[in-house]
Amino acid sequence: MSAVDTVSFRRTRDLDPYKLGHREAGEHGLATGHGEGGPASKRVIVGYGFWIFLLSDVVLFSCLFAAHAVLQTATAGGPSGRELFNPWSIAIETACLLASSFTCGLSAVATGVRSQIWTQLTLAITGLLGLAFLLLEAHDFAGMVAAGAGPTRSAFLSSLFAVVGCHGCHVTAGLLWLGTMMAQVFFKGFRPNILRRLLCFNLFWHVLDIIWVALFTIVYLIGEGR
Amino acid sequence: MFVPLAVGDMLGKLTLNAIPLDQPIPLIAGGVVILVVVAVIAWIVLRGHLPYLWREWITSVDHKRIGVMYVLLGLVMLLRGFIDAIMMRSQQALAFHAAGYLPPEHYDQVFSAHGTIMIFFAAMPLMIGLMNFVVPLQLGVRDVAFPTLNSTSFWLTATGALLVNISLVIGEFARTGWLPYPPLSEARYSPGVGVDYYLWALQISGVGTLLTGVNFVTTILKIRAPGMSYLRMPVFCWTALCANLLIVAAFPVLTATLAMLLLDRYLGFHFFTNSAGGNMMMFINLIWAWGHPEVYILVLPAFGVFSEVIPTFSGKPLFGYRSMVVATLFICLVSFLVWLHHFFTMGAGGDVNATFGIATSIIAVGTGVKIYNWMFTMYGGRIRFATPMLWSMGFLVTFTIGGMTGVLLAVPPADFQLHNSLFLVAHFHNVIIAGVLFAAFAGLTYWFPKAFGFRLHEGWGKAAFWFSLAGFYITFIPLYAVGLLGMTRRMQHYDLALWRPWVLAAGVGILVFMCALACQVIQLVVSIRRREELRDFTGDPWNGRSLEWSTASPPPAFNFAVLPNVQGEEPYWHIKRRAIETQQLTAEPDYQPIEMPRNSPTGFITAFFATVTGFALIWDIWWLVGVGLACAYAVFVWFAWRDVEEHQIPAEEVARIDRARRKAREEWLATEGHEEWLTSHGQGGTS
Amino acid sequence: MSNGTNEHNLDDVAPGFMDAADHSVRRGIQGYLIGLGLSAALTAISFYVVYTKLIWGPAIPTALVVLAVAQIGVHLVFFLHLTTAPDNTNNVLALAFGVLIVALIIGGSLWIMGRLNERMMPMNQATQMNRMPQMQR
Repeated sequence: MSAVDTVSFRRTRDLDPYKLGHREAGEHGLATGHGEGGPASKRVIVGYGFWIFLLSDVVLFSCLFAAHAVLQTATAGGPSGRELFNPWSIAIETACLLASSFTCGLSAVATGVRSQIWTQLTLAITGLLGLAFLLLEAHDFAGMVAAGAGPTRSAFLSSLFAVVGCHGCHVTAGLLWLGTMMAQVFFKGFRPNILRRLLCFNLFWHVLDIIWVALFTIVYLIGEGR
Repeated sequence: MFVPLAVGDMLGKLTLNAIPLDQPIPLIAGGVVILVVVAVIAWIVLRGHLPYLWREWITSVDHKRIGVMYVLLGLVMLLRGFIDAIMMRSQQALAFHAAGYLPPEHYDQVFSAHGTIMIFFAAMPLMIGLMNFVVPLQLGVRDVAFPTLNSTSFWLTATGALLVNISLVIGEFARTGWLPYPPLSEARYSPGVGVDYYLWALQISGVGTLLTGVNFVTTILKIRAPGMSYLRMPVFCWTALCANLLIVAAFPVLTATLAMLLLDRYLGFHFFTNSAGGNMMMFINLIWAWGHPEVYILVLPAFGVFSEVIPTFSGKPLFGYRSMVVATLFICLVSFLVWLHHFFTMGAGGDVNATFGIATSIIAVGTGVKIYNWMFTMYGGRIRFATPMLWSMGFLVTFTIGGMTGVLLAVPPADFQLHNSLFLVAHFHNVIIAGVLFAAFAGLTYWFPKAFGFRLHEGWGKAAFWFSLAGFYITFIPLYAVGLLGMTRRMQHYDLALWRPWVLAAGVGILVFMCALACQVIQLVVSIRRREELRDFTGDPWNGRSLEWSTASPPPAFNFAVLPNVQGEEPYWHIKRRAIETQQLTAEPDYQPIEMPRNSPTGFITAFFATVTGFALIWDIWWLVGVGLACAYAVFVWFAWRDVEEHQIPAEEVARIDRARRKAREEWLATEGHEEWLTSHGQGGTS
Repeated sequence: MSNGTNEHNLDDVAPGFMDAADHSVRRGIQGYLIGLGLSAALTAISFYVVYTKLIWGPAIPTALVVLAVAQIGVHLVFFLHLTTAPDNTNNVLALAFGVLIVALIIGGSLWIMGRLNERMMPMNQATQMNRMPQMQR
């Protein structure tokens, strides 16, 4: 394999970085991460795999969103969005989840410098904020059911409870996972495989917040106008 | 949640009435199956094979072992689905102005089970099994990205298959067809457990399949031998990549849609109900948004198998490699743009129907490119008519017919006449049998020696092929005809004399298929008996072109002692040609110790609790649901807690295994390899 | 050459990963703070748009979608560290694939279901038809 000096590397890289043309025998492409240097590192493999899984999860949510979009006028004589939604509740839930995303990011910084105390603290706050989100949401749901606006009342309400509830289930699973991760970090320290799992958890938690942005926009805010 | 107050409550809806004591057919069938299963388990345990099975197969995270288990599951379920097919054809053959022997509520379960089993538990496992076995070997690496996840995926699929089969003896199966359209599938019109069996079996195995998709996308994109750029991958790996991308994109849609139906049935939601604003058409829209990519998930790996078999047995490289890659990507993308063609008649209107009809016609272009490439690969080559090649040639002709009837159906006005007729049934069996089934047998025959170290018997293999080909045409061409004459699908009896000859002909065809099945079984038995005669000594029985043929048969756990350095397309072919030219192997490498993932019972135990949870959900045994979920979670945590994830194979062991392989190759080089060198240098003897 | 790892350090970066060696703790926290600030602002604007008369009524859904997309972008950049560098290309491509599928499913379903609902017979007419003697069994 020919040696590659930085000057020619930069030049050829600029002209045809992905080298889709035929190559000399034995010459490796210079584009990044296209697997020509052999298998990628474990962190990249695990991170990318989990990213793909999260995208599949986003597709799952998109089906529930599609169902909600189709059914949002199917109130069957029952209550509609405007009559049900409490803007303060949704605002506080959004604030909790956004803050928890922030503290999760802080925990990634803490993990980067291998600080056990700060990692545990920021993860704990993330968990508490997530729990606050869930409790508030459960309270809202209970109120709606008590007022006769439960999921069995109409198709609109079914789809609402389903899409918001699915997000809530994901948050619940995330909290279970978070607890497990905190225990693992505490007992095993910052081993490479634990670090990879923390990376996955970070991805998961941030994507959950992204879905919440779509959710509160489409379901609550646009639904408010119905 | 119910608090169990008495034993009766503890079992939810489950009572002794669930066992079909008053129905002879499921009773006998179930009895036979239970007997066979018990006999097999007894034989395993009493002969002391259980520790070996547990250690080497059940807890294995090796992609080769998992691939073999997938294929085994697929073959067993193919048999079960085939028996359902025999029952359907025979019932229709008998039921002219007569009731036949299957009452309607039973017949409905038979065709529903037939479709569900064939697609989810026969075709999918067969294709996924082949991909599991072959892809890491072709990429020149040691295993997939997530080996333990791979094991879990397999066992969850097996859980789904198990649940569907349990419905034969405890309870009933769905009567809705293989896609449970509401409102028939809602709690009001299907109050029994049948649809629940279907739903939970598919949800659980759907998770397994999705994880397989994630696993293989990551593997193919991130884990390849040094030097293997995208355009140096074998076409089978390209089709595997696209099929798994489709899995990642489409299976969540299935999960979401079935979850909505489950919410309707269990918690009284109104997604698809007849009242309170539910929209039944939305189920059909969403389920086919999954359903169409699903058939491409099945057929793309099939195309990949043929792209491997045809060049090998034509002695030529695949024609038009780049156009094959483009065609595969094209099919992958467009498969998401055509799903409405499954419900033209639901009434979306002219503009929607026309758009999707045109898109459907366009997707045929991708497949057409592939067919031409395969034909041009064969042209000018030196064809060897071994069994895998016969299956491929049968595919080329038969699949083209099926594809053409598909394009006929893509025209909405034509589809208005033919929707849900036997013409449609003949079309999709045409493409699935010629595509997926023929590919499964071609791939099996082709890669069997790699997996087990000996070839399958050629004679019985060829017999199985000819009977299958004849059986297909005799069964399904009459169904095209009778579909054009107006016969709809899923008829338990019929009264029109016009249809009778065709239905009878299809009944004869199924008998021919049964001969094919017999030949397959005999082939397996004879091959195992005569395995020493059929032994593959070198690891390259077919004069192959891709990297899996550079390993021993069967390959060692680590696949390659040293990851190959890939320098062009068809890397193994170049290695071989160079060895023949220079009359020697490359220098012995510097053997290093190899780290491989440790086996783990996680997959099996998780699936066990998934089975328990699924069964409990079907029968409303709520406390057991909680227990099952808690235990599954505990298994995850226990697995996550382990400290040692890998075991090391010492360098001496690697060296010993690889030297044995090199010795076999050297012997080949000294004998047949030398003959080839002489021939190519004009000093050939007998050729 | 049997080395399994990439020698040129041209490997991809894992999605969401930010190498601690590349920056100080302060920079790291700064990035997340900016993300938090921008997201909070965009959220506040969204609520404001809905509950006041700042924007013309019929344009509100569009405005909300724009704000949501912007906020998702903020999340992707500041929380998930997605960049346009070549080592992130594969991650962005995967995201693009996911977005495409989501667009097809939601867009396709809305179009199809919309057309189907348009062509459904009005309910009172359907009920009348069901009551006709030919429809009774």
